[in-house]
Formats: sequence, C-alpha cells, structure tokens
Amino acid sequence: MQPFIQLADSFLIMFYRLTGVAWADFAIGTFTLAIIALFVGEATVRLVFRFSRKHLDEKISEADKYQNLSMDALRAGNKEAYQAANKLAKEAFGHTFFQQLTLSGAFLWPVFFALAWMQQRFLEVEIPIPGTGWSLGFIGAFIIIYAAAFVFLKVLKRILFLSRTPEPRALCSEKQ
Amino acid sequence: MNKKGIVLICLLALVAAAAICVLAEPAAAGKLEEAIAKTPVGMGTGEINPDAPKGFMGIPGAPQPFWFWGILWGIWVGWIFSIVGAFGGIMAGVGHISVFGLGDYAASFRKTSPVLNKLVTDSIRTSNQYLVGLSALMSSVTYYRMGRLVLPLGIALALGGIAGAYLIPVLTAGKISLKAYVGYFGLIVLVIGCFLFYDTTPKGQEKKKKAKAAAQAFQEAVKKGTSAGEVAAQGVQVKSWGFTRIEFSFYGVEFHFNPVWPVLGGFFIAALSAFIGVGGGFLYVPFLTSVTALPMYVVAGTSALAVFISMITSIFTFMFVKGTPIDFLFIGAELIGIATGSIVGPYTSKYIPDIWLKRLFVILAIYVGLGYTLRGFIDIRLPGI
Repeated sequence: MQPFIQLADSFLIMFYRLTGVAWADFAIGTFTLAIIALFVGEATVRLVFRFSRKHLDEKISEADKYQNLSMDALRAGNKEAYQAANKLAKEAFGHTFFQQLTLSGAFLWPVFFALAWMQQRFLEVEIPIPGTGWSLGFIGAFIIIYAAAFVFLKVLKRILFLSRTPEPRALCSEKQ
Repeated sequence: MNKKGIVLICLLALVAAAAICVLAEPAAAGKLEEAIAKTPVGMGTGEINPDAPKGFMGIPGAPQPFWFWGILWGIWVGWIFSIVGAFGGIMAGVGHISVFGLGDYAASFRKTSPVLNKLVTDSIRTSNQYLVGLSALMSSVTYYRMGRLVLPLGIALALGGIAGAYLIPVLTAGKISLKAYVGYFGLIVLVIGCFLFYDTTPKGQEKKKKAKAAAQAFQEAVKKGTSAGEVAAQGVQVKSWGFTRIEFSFYGVEFHFNPVWPVLGGFFIAALSAFIGVGGGFLYVPFLTSVTALPMYVVAGTSALAVFISMITSIFTFMFVKGTPIDFLFIGAELIGIATGSIVGPYTSKYIPDIWLKRLFVILAIYVGLGYTLRGFIDIRLPGI
C-alpha cells in the first residue's frame, strides 16, 4: 500500500466494522467514505474558486457578452454580425469550458483517493444485485452510494438552510 | 418537481442503469493478473520480477510515478487548461506516455508479453479520459437547469457518441500496441498544432480582428431594448421532433437541424476521442456551430453533455467490458495538480501576451506531434519524446 492509503486505512476501516453485518457494514462504511469525499471536494472547489474567481468571471462575462450579441444580431437579421459574434463567443467559451473542467477536478479528486483505498481493500469483493444474477464491483457500489450521499447532503443542506450560500459562479457559468 | 427536473433525473438514471449493467462484470483485476502471469519472470527488459516493489497499477517493477510528480505535472496541465484550453488533455497524455515512463515500460513488453503491452497502453488511454470525462457532468447539469441545453440535439449527439465510444474500445482494446497508439496520438497533436499555428498567422489574426470589428460595429448600432440575456431566460422550447428535422425556438428565433448530422458527428468525435484518449470537448463546439449552424448560446451546454456521455461510455467500456485496470491514486494526485494549475494560470497569463502563449504551444504541439508520429510509425526518437 502507498503510505497515504496506509495512513487512511486504519481510520476508514473503522466505519466498516460497526454492526457486524457484512452488507450493512459495507453500506455504512462506503456512505461515510462518500460523505468525506464530498466534503473534502466541496471545500477544495470553494478554495480554488476563491483564487480564480476574478479571472473566471471576466472570461464568462466575455463569453456572455458575445453570446448575447450573437442572439441580438440573429434577431435583427444581421448574418455577418451574428457569425462574427458567434465566432468570438466560441473562443471565449473554450476558455470557460476548460476552466470549469479544472474546477470539477478540484471537486472530484477525493473520489479517486477513495477508490484507490477501496481498490486495496475490496478489489475481489462482488456485491450481488438482489433479484438478478449480476453483481457489482467496488467501483459500481461506490458510484451509486456516492450519488445517494450527494442527494442526501443536498436535501440536508436545504433543510438546514445552508443552501443559501452562493454557488461558485463558475459552476453556474453565467449571470442568471 | 418540474418537468425538466424529472427529465434530467430520468436521463441520469438511464446512464446509471447502463453503468450498473456494465459494472456487473468486474474483470480488471483478473485481466491484469493474467497478463502478468503470461509475462516471462526475470530481471531483464520485458520481464517481471515478482519480488520487485509494486509500481504503476500494482505491477511488480513497474515505474512508480510518485504522487508528488503527478501533482506537479497536473499543475502544468491545469495551467494549460486555464490559459490555452484543449491542449491540456494532450499534455496529460504526454505525461503518461513520456514523463512518467509508462510508454517505454509498455513498449518493453512488445515482444515478451504483447498482452501486457496493450493493457498498459489501454490504461494510459483511459487515464487521459478520466481527467476530462467526469468533469463535464457538472457543466451539462448546470446548463440544462438554465434552459440552455437542446435536449434533442444532446440525445442525437449522445446516440452517435455512445456508439462511437463503445465500439472503439470494444474493437481496439487489447489490440493497439503502444507503438501504434503513440503514432496516432502524434498525428492528432500535429493536426491540432496546425490549427493553433493558423491562429497565429497574420491571416488567422486578421480574421479575428475582422470578427471583433463586426461584432463591435453591431453592438454600437444595436438599439436599446430587451437584452438577449433577459429573453434567453425563457430557455429552449422544442417545437417538433422528427427523424429528419427537429425544430426548436430560442430567444424568439426558430431553429431547426437534421438529427442525422449530430448522430454522425457524435459518432466520429467520440470514436476519435476514445481511440486517442482525449475529451473531444474542443471538437464538439466547432462541429455544432459550423455543421448544424446553431448559435453558441445553446451549443455550449449541449457539447458538455455530449462530452460527458461519450466519455462515461468509453471509460466504462474500457474498464468493465474490456477489463482495463487504472491507477486511481495517481489520477487523484493529477487532479489536485490540475486544480492548483487553474489557480496559477490566470495569475501568470497577465504577464504573457496571448499571441506569445499561442506561439509557444504551436512549437510544443509541432515538436510533440512530430516526435510521437516519428516514434510510432518509423521508430525514430526525438529527445524527450
């Protein structure tokens, strides 16, 4: 095991030994792992966004400006201006698209560390899907539980009125 | 919950269901063990010493790309992504092939263990895609919520994309040697380099200047009234669906397209992306704006959805249908670097003029492209490649 995985192992495995029932332990442990990955990811994306917000907003505004202009030109029936504005919007969008991609990386990196740890622990484990002859590997199980944890946290935040915290604009891509 | 929300959830549920079906056959571990078992034991080139420390993908004696170097290379990739764009994906590939020595490692098994050679090659291809694929999910969900995603267009692209992204891994996984992969990768980089080069020529610059002037002239001439942004909030309204014509309105303007084109375009772009191991995001937008003549306003979100669906299909097919193993820890480290690079990029770009940045990447693209093409097809090695 890599030193990092080794370090995390003794902590993470605790959540897989809470009830003594194999399937429940796996579900609880993986759900906890997903929650940790979500928290760390969200903290990182907010941190990255704090530093890159200004530049990102500039690029997004530029893309918005030309996109709006292209639509105005279209409405006015000015084909030349439409094509010109559309071309400039395309270029500006390219920048914002790839910058959003890097922000998503900031959100998703903990998922890969979680999977790397699970790979060491559960590589050979197969989780049967009830009612079918199929079984899930650890990646499939993690993805489903991660999605459930994502929805759970979103609902919880809404209940706790925490969702009023403004979303990073980069992930919203434009002024609404 | 509104209608859009339900449709979105159904769409994601479909992707998840498809993923589950594919995930139901975990084969990565067995395939790697099988390939290692078939490789001659020993200390020489093209052999595996079972007692050596485990490296990339847990293979004994394989290069150990230390996570810290992964972060550093990620910073470089993230820096490029944030100031240049598409070339970042290419650089991710260069890192996996050359910088971390995985290319040479895979090539060492060309004669002794072709299965391992091709398995490591597939892993490099899939690793490149991981850095792009999942990220497009967030953009497409956001665009859809903003009413800027043309669902029929997205579906048409996705249908072609799924076919291309599924077929290429199925047909080529385990069959493409590192040598061939590197050659084709080089060719694509050369083509991208040529486009970048054209942008920096006086003719390319002149076109951009003309576009700016035309846009500015229109902006000044336009009367004050309802702004595009305000009307755009109404979102996309699909008017009619058909096999040869789909109509929708946006911003009070009617648009139509023939769904056959996006299906074909989606197929070829996804197939090329899956083969080379890149995102394809840089191809969808020019394709949609030029072939279907749709405005950027609605193309942006649709392209993000197309990238996401085709990448997910390709990654799942590589990993679970063809059993390609992945080094998750290393990809996680690279993602940390990419996020850091996206912070560094805007700060440094202030000090380097855009045209010089482009020229720098033209040189880099031509050198890397030429280097990999020569290495892949005629076995000539340029320094550092």
